[in-house]
This record gives sequence, structure tokens and C-alpha cells, in this order.
Amino acid sequence: MTAKSRRKLTTSAAPMVGALAVTLVGALLLPGAASAADAPKPLDPAGVKALVQQIDDRQRNSGDYKSLVYIERKERGKNTVVYEAVMYRRDKDDRFMILFLKPKSERGKGYLRVDKNLWMYDPTVGRWERRTERERIGGTDSRRNDFDESNLATEYSAKYVKAGKLGRFGVHQLDLKALPKVDVAFPRLKLWVDAASNNILKRQDFAASGRLMRTTYMPKWRHVFSASKKSSVWVPREIRIFDEIEKGNSTVVLIKQTDLRPLQRNIFSKAWLESKSR
Amino acid sequence: MRTLLLVAIRNLFASRRRSLLLGGAIAVVTLLLATLSAVSNGMQTNMLKVATTLSTGHVNVAGFYKLTSGDSTPMVNNYSKLLEKLNDPSLGIDHYVVRGRGWGKMISDVASQQGVLVGVDIEKEHRFREVVQVLEGNLEDLKKRDAVMLFKKQADRLEVKVGDPLTLSSPTFRGVNNTVDVTVVAIVKDMGMTSAWSFFFNDQAHRRLYQMGDDMAGAIHLFLKDPKRADEVAATLRKTYQADGHRVMEPAGLPFWQKFQSVAREDWTGQKIDVTTWTDEMLFMRYTLQTFGIVTMIFITVLLGMIILGVVNTLYIAIRERTREIGTLRAIGMARRWVLGMFVIETATLAFAATTAGCLMAAALVAGLNAMKIEVGEAFQMFLMSDTLKLEMDVTTAVVSIVVIGTVTTIASLLPSWRAARKPPVTAIQHV
Repeated sequence: MTAKSRRKLTTSAAPMVGALAVTLVGALLLPGAASAADAPKPLDPAGVKALVQQIDDRQRNSGDYKSLVYIERKERGKNTVVYEAVMYRRDKDDRFMILFLKPKSERGKGYLRVDKNLWMYDPTVGRWERRTERERIGGTDSRRNDFDESNLATEYSAKYVKAGKLGRFGVHQLDLKALPKVDVAFPRLKLWVDAASNNILKRQDFAASGRLMRTTYMPKWRHVFSASKKSSVWVPREIRIFDEIEKGNSTVVLIKQTDLRPLQRNIFSKAWLESKSR
Repeated sequence: MRTLLLVAIRNLFASRRRSLLLGGAIAVVTLLLATLSAVSNGMQTNMLKVATTLSTGHVNVAGFYKLTSGDSTPMVNNYSKLLEKLNDPSLGIDHYVVRGRGWGKMISDVASQQGVLVGVDIEKEHRFREVVQVLEGNLEDLKKRDAVMLFKKQADRLEVKVGDPLTLSSPTFRGVNNTVDVTVVAIVKDMGMTSAWSFFFNDQAHRRLYQMGDDMAGAIHLFLKDPKRADEVAATLRKTYQADGHRVMEPAGLPFWQKFQSVAREDWTGQKIDVTTWTDEMLFMRYTLQTFGIVTMIFITVLLGMIILGVVNTLYIAIRERTREIGTLRAIGMARRWVLGMFVIETATLAFAATTAGCLMAAALVAGLNAMKIEVGEAFQMFLMSDTLKLEMDVTTAVVSIVVIGTVTTIASLLPSWRAARKPPVTAIQHV
């Protein structure tokens, strides 16, 4: 991990999130904070397009992908639940799978995307259910695309808002709108992109009505060398999602042990996931 | 025959104590039967009225639209074409209303609740006003474009009152997340299960939430002149729409919100029409009524069994006591069949008089219980769709009760009467 990528956000510039979010993110980012950066130079439209493409490219792996994931779900008035899961991806075939390991009640549950169909397996009833691509994963605030490869350039058109600062970071602020006839969960996004590393630090998702629905922070990134890509793949180490409609609901995703070595050939199948559920 | 009837009535008056005991027992059984039927009728009538106003028509023309095979949106596209087929007078449609349907989340500042989202045009929903009881606010304000009506428990759970804002959140049929800000305009009395899971809000707000065009709807609720024809009309409409080139779903006997998963599993895209009846949409109601019907039937069978045993036993005793009387009657020339007829007519007179009295007492009891407006517990409210007990006694049930109990009791008297008539006069006169 580079020094730039280890830089952390401070709490002072998180105007759209609640006090809890600010405190959490601030507490997370203060240790090891690097030196302040100036606001970057604004980008022209070609530069914006290139930046969005670069965001996608940096996270995309041409081969396979496996990560251990911890998802902590906090809901107002309910007990906090922590899930442990393994996430698998084969980006060249658009294949994706999550297998839940913990808690015991969720063990064996999984999501599998094959041929643009997202399926959910529930081992308690031994049945597969087709789910919408935009579904919340495990009832948390996270969605399939939070774990999947980034397709911002193909799904959205981007406009430059301004160059500014997010805490100590110099950032490019972008406004993205879904392209016509492209089905996405959120038709409008706002991104705060670290000008130095080109990593997304903050993302806001808006409903079709224009209402802010989620604010996501991705303060920590790591890069892993991919033999198939012959360069690094950037992976967020931590994703903090705050529900902006149901204040008090939040989800923290920790992505650990990313492995880019080739996976078994038959892994993306219902039979394989079912076998792991037994 | 007239003489026999007179003799029978005189005998009944002569043995007043015995007649009162036996007649009283028959009257009490009739009272119980008629009251239980009134409870069952009241439940069914109230549930049907509430359910067919709030949640379903007698028949519903609805469907699912799938943009991708993994979707399952409860929506009908180009519903005006479906309406054209409803003009056939043989269907016996009294009127219809067009509703919005969906599943989403209602969010307040402090809490949230998921449920069925129902878009209503209050100006066309005439029956709506008859059914809901407003506790706070004004139901007419539901015509405002961002208005929502809540049931009392929903308002308590979300901690809101009239005038407070709420956010509705749901994905559109294209899977795009959307929200609509609404304002509480009325809080109404809870009405069982429907009030637990359904939110009623302005149709325009519903259209905005789901980004629906003018020719899209959730469901068309049809109200029939004769609700008992619901199954027949539904079957006819399925055939009609199929013949018109629509893809029609097989009847599944389930409410629409229980079909989301099964529809999402199916490998098709586009529009399918789903014609359902009120018994499909209110599945829990059907189970409740069936269960209550079975319990009532068992109870009545046990009661009838007891009364038959009582009647037979009492008649045996009565006939034994009157053996010498029978002997005398036979000795002065009364034929066996006349003796048999006398006892049967005596029992029939007592039985029909007692059952009529039982029905009259039941009618008075039902009127009294209705006037008392007895509150029922929360568990019962869920099924009754009302917070008070409502009984309904109809003439048919009363007549059936009189005929069934009267006939069964009369038949029960045949055996002891026949045995009495068979006794030789000499043996009967010597009986001590």
C-alpha cells in the first residue's frame, strides 16, 4: 500500500452525514493521518471521463477474485449483527458469489450470479430464489454492486462539480447520472475521488426522486498484484455505509485476505454452493 | 288429525313440568345453534365487507410485470384494454376501482415499517368511507397528492400524528430506488390483519413512487352484484383475456404478495395477467372461517346428539308413566297407528314450539350483544377485522335451526312411540 492510499479523512468535512458517521469515520482515520493536501486542479470533461474509466480499471481484475468479508449491520432498535462471508468473483464472465459462514443462523446461505441472474440459496429450506440484481445483501445496507467490479463508466455519465478538500484530502467531486436505458439501483451518484490516488473516498447514492439514500465512505484501500492483469487491483479495505433515510442504520464492510489466484473452474455453480452449505 | 293435535297439546299442558324440562332443553340447544351461527355469519359478513373494501374486490384483475426474469412487479400495463372486457353485462359487475399495489417501507423520524403499499383514489372509493372509522384527521384529505392514511397501531409504531411527514421507499419496476415524501392526513381505527400490513396513500403519490404511466395500475378491483359468483366470473375473465391474446397466470389460491418469490423464480419477462377472487387474496380469512365452521359443526353435532338422547330417554320415561293410559286408549278402540301418531305429534309440537322459542331468544340475545358492543381481544381483532363483536342472525339460519332440530327431535320420538303403540291393551292396563 502506498503512503497516499494510507492517508485518512478527518471528521471536519463530512457535512452530509450524521454525528455518528463523523465520529466513526474520524476515529477510524485519525491514527496515522498523513500531511494535508491542497485542492487539486479542476478536470476538463475528457479528464473526468478518463478518471471514471480509471476508477473502474483500477478495481477490475481480468482473472479471479476471492476475499474474506465481515459485514456488520446496525439497525435502529435492533441488535447489531455481524456476518462473515467469502466473496468470489470471475470478472471476465461477470460471475459473482457470496457464501455466508457466520453467524450460525446464516451459515450456508449464499448469493450466486450467473448469466445476469442473481440467485439466493437458503439452506434451511434447501431452495434457490431468484433475486433482483439491486437487492440488499443479507438484509444489510450493502448491495451486490458494493462487492462487484466497478462499472461506473458504462452505467453513468459524469460531470465535474468542483475540486475541493475532503478533510485533509484534495478531491475531485463528480456528479454521475445513470445513462438512458441502463438499470441501476441509484440513478444519481456523487463521488469524492482522492486526487492523489484516484480512489473513491466518499460516495452518495440518490433515489430517483433526488433524495439522498446512502452515504458511503471508503477510507482505506489496498492494492494487490494480479498475475492475470499483470498490474495491481485496488480493493477497498473498509466500506462504511450510512442509511440517510433511516437515520441510525448503518453497515460496515471489512474486506480481508484478498486472493487473486485462479479459483476452481466449477466454483460458480449452484451445486458447488449447495455442497458448501452442507 | 285435529283431534290428535288437541290431545297432544292437552297432554303437553297436563304434564307441564316434563314439557318445560324437555322443551327448555330443546330451546337452549336452538338458542346455542342460532347464536353460534350468528357469530359465524357476523364474522363472515364483517370480514367480507372490510376485506372487499380495503384489500380486494370480489374479483381482481391484476398481474405481474417482469422487466427481467428476476423481477416480480405487481403491475398491469395498458389496463384500459383490460377494462374494455368488463363491459359484458353477463359478468354482473356492479362497479370497479383501480388501485396501486406495491411493497415498500414507510419511514418516520424514529421508526420504520415494511408493508403492502396501496394507492387509492378516495373520490372513487365510495365504500371506503363506510368501512373505516376516523380517529384523527380527515379522510377526504386523502385526495391530496402526498397524503397517507394510517391505522392506529401503525401511527403508534411510527410515532406520528396527523400532519407529520413520512417517507415511502421502494424500488420502481425497473429496480431503481425511489422515495416519496408523504404527510399523514388521517389516523383510523385498526381493522385486523389488513391494518397490520397495509398502507393506504394517494394514488398519484403511488404512481410517482413507482414511476408508473397513466395506463399502468396495480389491480382492478371488481365488485359484483352477487359476490357468490366470484369464482365463476374469475374463470370467465381468465378465458376472455386468454382469448384476447393476454398471458394469464394459473389460479394459485394465494394473495398477490405471496407470489413475489414464485413469480421471480419463473423464467419469463413482460406482462402476465392474474385474475383472483377475494378468497384468494384473503387466504387467512378463508382458513379462519373454515376452522370456525368446523368447530361450530362439531359443537352442534355434540349438542344435537345430547338432545336426541335426552328426548328419547324422556319419551321412554313419559311413555312408561303413561302405559296404563295407552292400554285404556287401546281398549276403547284406538288403533296402534293413532297411538303412534299421538306421541309423535306431541313431540313434534313440543319440539317446534321450543325451537321457535329458542330462535326468538337467540334473536333477542344477538340484538343485546350487538347493542353492548363487546370489545374483543387483540388476537381476535386480527381475524374479525373489527374491535367489537358483531353478530348477524338471518331468517334462513333461524328457519334451518327450527326445521333441523324440530325434525331430528321428532324422528327421535318414533322408536319409543312405536314401542308404546305395540303393547297389547291388557298388558298395558295391568302395568304398574
